[in-house]
Amino acid sequence: MIVCVAVVGHQNNPLYIQSFTEADDALKLHHIVHCSLDVVDERVNNPKKSGPTLNETFLGMLYPTENYKVYGYLTNTKVKFILVTTDLDVRDADVRNFFSRFHAAYVDAVSNPFHVPGKKITSRIFADRVKNIVKSFGSSSAG
Amino acid sequence: MADPASSNLGRMLTDEITPVVMVLRTPLVEEATRKNGLSFIELLNPFCAFNNIDVPVRTASDQPYRLQKFKLRLFYASDIAQPNIEVAKVRIKQVITRAGEKDFPEVSSNPLAIETVLGATQHKVLPSWFQVFNQELVHTVSFAEHEAFDHPVACLLAVSSKDEESISKFVDLFNTNQLPSLINDGAMDPKILKHFVVVHDNQDGMPDRATKVLTEMRNTFGANNCRLLCINSSRDGSVERQENPWASCKSDGSQFQQLGCFLSLDDVDELKNSMQDLSSKHIIPYMEQKIRVLNQQVSATRKGFRNQIKNLWWRKGKEDVPDNPNGPTYTFNSVEFQIRVLGDYAFMLRDYELALSNYRLLSTDYKLDKAWKHYAGVQEMMGLTYFMLDQSRKDAEYCMENAFSTYLKLGSSGHRNATRCGLWWVEILKARDQHKDAASVYFRISGEEPLHSAVMLEQASYCYLFSTPPLLRKYGFHLVLAGDLYKKCDQVKHAIRTYRGALSVFKGTTWNHIKDQVHFHIGKWYAFLGMSDVAIEHMLEILACGHQSKSTQELFLRDFFQVVQNTGKTFDVLKLQLPVINVNSVKVVFEDHRTYASETATSVKEGFWHSFEEDMIPLLSSMRSNWLESHGKNFTQKYKESNICVAGEVIRVHVELKNPLQIPISVSNVSLICEHSSGSDETNPDLNSSIDNDQLRKLAINGKIGAEASSFLSGEIDLRLGAGETVVAQLSVIANIEGTLEIVGVRWKLSGSVSGFCKFDSDILKKKFARGKRKSKKSSGNYLKFLVIKSLPKLEGFVHHLPETVYAGDMRRLSLELRNPSNTPLKNLKMKVSHPRFLNIGDQDVMEMEFPSCLEKKRSSAEVYVPVKTCKARTVFSFPEDMVICGDSTCLWPLYLRAAAPGNHSLYITIYYEVGDASSIMRYRVLRMHYNLEVLPSLDVSFQISSHPSRLQEFLGRMDVINRTSSESFQVHQLSSVGNEWEISLLQPMDTVFPADFLMAGQALSCFFKLKNCRKWVNAEDNPSSLVPSEKADIRLVCGNGEALFDTSRLPLVDFHHYERLHQGISDQDHQTTVDFILISQSQSDDKSGINIFSHHACDCSVGSSSPIWWLIEGPGTVTHNFAVDFCEIKLKMFIHNSSDVTASVHISTFDSAPTIDSLSTGASVSSANEAGWRDLSVLNDIKVTSDAVGNHSGKLLSPASVSPFIWSGSSSNRVTLEPLSSTEIALQICVFSPGTYDVSNYSLHWSLFGSGDEDDKETGLRLSSGTCEGHSYYLTVLQQG
Repeated sequence: MIVCVAVVGHQNNPLYIQSFTEADDALKLHHIVHCSLDVVDERVNNPKKSGPTLNETFLGMLYPTENYKVYGYLTNTKVKFILVTTDLDVRDADVRNFFSRFHAAYVDAVSNPFHVPGKKITSRIFADRVKNIVKSFGSSSAG
Repeated sequence: MADPASSNLGRMLTDEITPVVMVLRTPLVEEATRKNGLSFIELLNPFCAFNNIDVPVRTASDQPYRLQKFKLRLFYASDIAQPNIEVAKVRIKQVITRAGEKDFPEVSSNPLAIETVLGATQHKVLPSWFQVFNQELVHTVSFAEHEAFDHPVACLLAVSSKDEESISKFVDLFNTNQLPSLINDGAMDPKILKHFVVVHDNQDGMPDRATKVLTEMRNTFGANNCRLLCINSSRDGSVERQENPWASCKSDGSQFQQLGCFLSLDDVDELKNSMQDLSSKHIIPYMEQKIRVLNQQVSATRKGFRNQIKNLWWRKGKEDVPDNPNGPTYTFNSVEFQIRVLGDYAFMLRDYELALSNYRLLSTDYKLDKAWKHYAGVQEMMGLTYFMLDQSRKDAEYCMENAFSTYLKLGSSGHRNATRCGLWWVEILKARDQHKDAASVYFRISGEEPLHSAVMLEQASYCYLFSTPPLLRKYGFHLVLAGDLYKKCDQVKHAIRTYRGALSVFKGTTWNHIKDQVHFHIGKWYAFLGMSDVAIEHMLEILACGHQSKSTQELFLRDFFQVVQNTGKTFDVLKLQLPVINVNSVKVVFEDHRTYASETATSVKEGFWHSFEEDMIPLLSSMRSNWLESHGKNFTQKYKESNICVAGEVIRVHVELKNPLQIPISVSNVSLICEHSSGSDETNPDLNSSIDNDQLRKLAINGKIGAEASSFLSGEIDLRLGAGETVVAQLSVIANIEGTLEIVGVRWKLSGSVSGFCKFDSDILKKKFARGKRKSKKSSGNYLKFLVIKSLPKLEGFVHHLPETVYAGDMRRLSLELRNPSNTPLKNLKMKVSHPRFLNIGDQDVMEMEFPSCLEKKRSSAEVYVPVKTCKARTVFSFPEDMVICGDSTCLWPLYLRAAAPGNHSLYITIYYEVGDASSIMRYRVLRMHYNLEVLPSLDVSFQISSHPSRLQEFLGRMDVINRTSSESFQVHQLSSVGNEWEISLLQPMDTVFPADFLMAGQALSCFFKLKNCRKWVNAEDNPSSLVPSEKADIRLVCGNGEALFDTSRLPLVDFHHYERLHQGISDQDHQTTVDFILISQSQSDDKSGINIFSHHACDCSVGSSSPIWWLIEGPGTVTHNFAVDFCEIKLKMFIHNSSDVTASVHISTFDSAPTIDSLSTGASVSSANEAGWRDLSVLNDIKVTSDAVGNHSGKLLSPASVSPFIWSGSSSNRVTLEPLSSTEIALQICVFSPGTYDVSNYSLHWSLFGSGDEDDKETGLRLSSGTCEGHSYYLTVLQQG
């Protein structure tokens, strides 16, 4: 189950962070997302410069904590997407699929002329869309 | 990497893994050393570490090398045992607590910026007590039986010279029941090196007895192993030293000076020499010897192919031994343990190669034996040996990892060992700059003990900090985790320290959730420690937490106020974030020469007022009465540069306060912070330009106390802001004394306990206003700075009884109250009203009359009618000169309101007045009033008028009235035509048309009336009484005769009608063909006490003809004639009326042929030749329907083939001249040749007007100078007689 998704701006400022748990662990997830930025930075600054992964936006698993797995995705505008999941065996394809759909939703949200770049994403449509994407995570490949 | 021995771990190992010397002493020895404040071991300890011992050693394979650094560890026999866990825990806790006290950050110091943390060296940032703590942790597992390096290598027996029977004492000391359990259990070899020392206290006399004992000892124990130690040679106990070697062994340092005070330099030298002797001449050779022996034994039993095979086989055979959780026990004489001793000794003598080979050998054995603890211990040592050899890094790590996990597998018993192993492992990684890996190892070490975990996490966080590139966020996160754990263990100071460290990471980021939580906890913990000031400082950071959930906001606020309340005082806070003050929204309303009657008047744009008052206000230049006025120029300069306000008058400031939270907050005592200086502003123009925060605080507090209360008065208000609410607070300040007043900022009190200040940044405001209006560019002065001038009279005005919502047409009288509280008279009062269509200024004498009855027509019209001179050109109304308003007297002036049109209307009134006192700076002032009026639609009135078919100068009209309101009902009272030219009469009595009294909501009413023109020619010099409007100009539409009619020629109605016409763009001329109506209706007013009058004006209703000439043909309708005799001659009469003001000439021309071509073609198919003259019924119907259409059907009856059925006889052309407003009569005649119905309309009137010579009329005269009209239809039926 996905417990948290986040959009982080290119200055590492949170643009959108949403947890999908009932428990009151928003703070913890904030911390986890925040920490994972360190790893993103590391990946970005020391890329393995092999051909196919040079322009890869998907960063793979960032770091496994005790209970969570954190995945990252970096857009061309240096906006980061972070996914925190409790699933123990996650297929890379699922995560890639998730991120590409999430990216599309994000692009639509920031294309709104009323969205101020660099400010938090407050669009409710975006939130609903993300909710749907999160809900369908993992099920698309199984079905 | 540098030499591993010089690394942190290397130093640690050379300190920790060194030979242990067991010390046995008699109580008298201890007594002697106690004189120096030291125990026996403490006395010896400083001399046990040798940096340059330079002892030659040979390896097992006879390779010579020299040992430079060496250290002995001395322990009392009683201490050589595994430490008690609980005691160790307490000690570790003490270490942490003490460190917490010591490392507690300064309150005043801000958290370091992250850049400085990054730039600093490791040692500076890393808390030094970590090392102490780690050492303590390592010591908790010392003297383990599975390791040999903590087993004593030698034994030091000390007996005092005062002891009786010294020899037997020595024997007694090495008694089994005093020896540590390690020896007694057989875990180690009891046959160890023994060294005998006689301690002589020089204070007890000469060492004669001691030397005697020594010789005795030498005889008994051998010459080499005995030694005499003389101490306390200094008798007075005042030995001074540059550096006290014992300083480090007593950490509390209480009696620092007394340590070793009886030890003279000779004593110290002797101590040093004896210890060096002990290590270099006894211990090291002994160990070397032992290594050789053991190595030979091991080689004999284990080395070589044969031995290995044998060993394997032998071990295999032991496989069926049941699994002991601690593994098999190995006594000191088992081969395995001997290998371990060999390895450890080799390690201690820095022969790492030998150590490693033995450890390797041993680890396979232990593994096969499943002696996991021993195995882990060996693995651990292997890792360290690899590290010291600086050979294979991978192997070192692998061994440590192996050891660590094996220890962990042992369960709780191995946990502390695992901790030690982990710490060493971390040091290995750190020495190789693998900080990130080190951090994860720290993370793994942190076990069940929360306090230890906290320290481990904190150390891990520093590893993240030191790794390259630094992982700052992880650093912060781990600090937060550590802080939480510290808090759990009641180490609040540590918790604060770690959180503050974390704060430097989160500072400046937008991760508000995390930041808030960090600030909140720091604040809470400071409060817990009773440091409220710092606590509040941190809590303030989180007050404006609009992004948090409601419950969190409540929690934050509640805790904050709790902290504040606990302090019991109010706090003055410069950057209080609650509520949010929108400095950009600050709007200042003040009155200089412009004064405002109400709030709404101030919100109107200055530009509007400016243009509105243009024709009232004298120009600034003309204000100066003469050039000799000395202060004139000076003053205008000042006047331009800063705002002027009058002493005693209110300056209002509108500030927007916003509550970002979802919970309501109460804000009290909101007031302005002002600075008043009574002196001239010129001398120190820049003094106030930059008020820093301290000054602001001082000002704010001063203002509160009221030190300057006399010079200005700042009003306070209390507010309550709901969730997310934004309130515009209206603050006021009154300057009492002349000088300068500057509004600096605003202060407020949150929930009655915390005061906040906010400075109005004048730069922002200036920018804003410069943008707002271009012309204020020159006023470079501070917008919030006022020049206070001495008090002036101020006119106050108020319009009474002005309703907010009225129905359209509502007409009422209002009274304008003017008041001047001061005693200075005002003069030259003028007033201007923006919408004269709505508001009209009355005459003062009207005030006494009753409204609306004063409008009623007097029944006894005996009084001479005075025509009202309408105030057509009067845009500015001047009050009479003799009107004096001063003191407390008030003046009421009537105003008429008429809601002319539906919609929302803003009514503006400006009153201009001059101050009588000529010496004052301001010559004049204006009072601005602004009212909003909402007008609802009421009655829709429309008129339709057509000319009377049979009477000249008369018209038929229809009036439609619809009540557009939703609930109101009206009584239609009267219809009047404006002026004296028209008479109205109803066609039917009102009872039949509309029997009800009231026109209900949504109801419509139509009535028909007859309109008669009664205009007569009057000369200008004529008696004005002839202008009396005819009595018939009004008709009563209400049933019954009880109520009087209103006189529509009275003042307000006339004026309103004038402005109504003006509004509709109709000039006053040219109303001979149009008529204006006023419909007056009534309704009960809301309070049922009186009636409301409504007047509806319909202007310029056309009477259906546009030419000034009206005519009518009169004649018989039906004629019976015997056509057998002759043709029929019919006489007709034409009445012509000239309705214009000038003489007209009318020419009537008749024609027998078809007048227009197109009527020829249209009529062709209709008529037949045989029945010429007869018309179809359908055509007649057609005519009936369009009876008002004039002249279009004139040619209908004509067929192109036939001749005209009638001809005009008599004169074919008539020309008459008509005087203005006169009528004449012309005889016409036609001849008809056959029976039929004829439309006698084939004639036309050509008229032309002669200019009257009046200049005004020239234009209209030219325009209407001539015209042609087609004839009206006139149907004539001629029947055959007989």
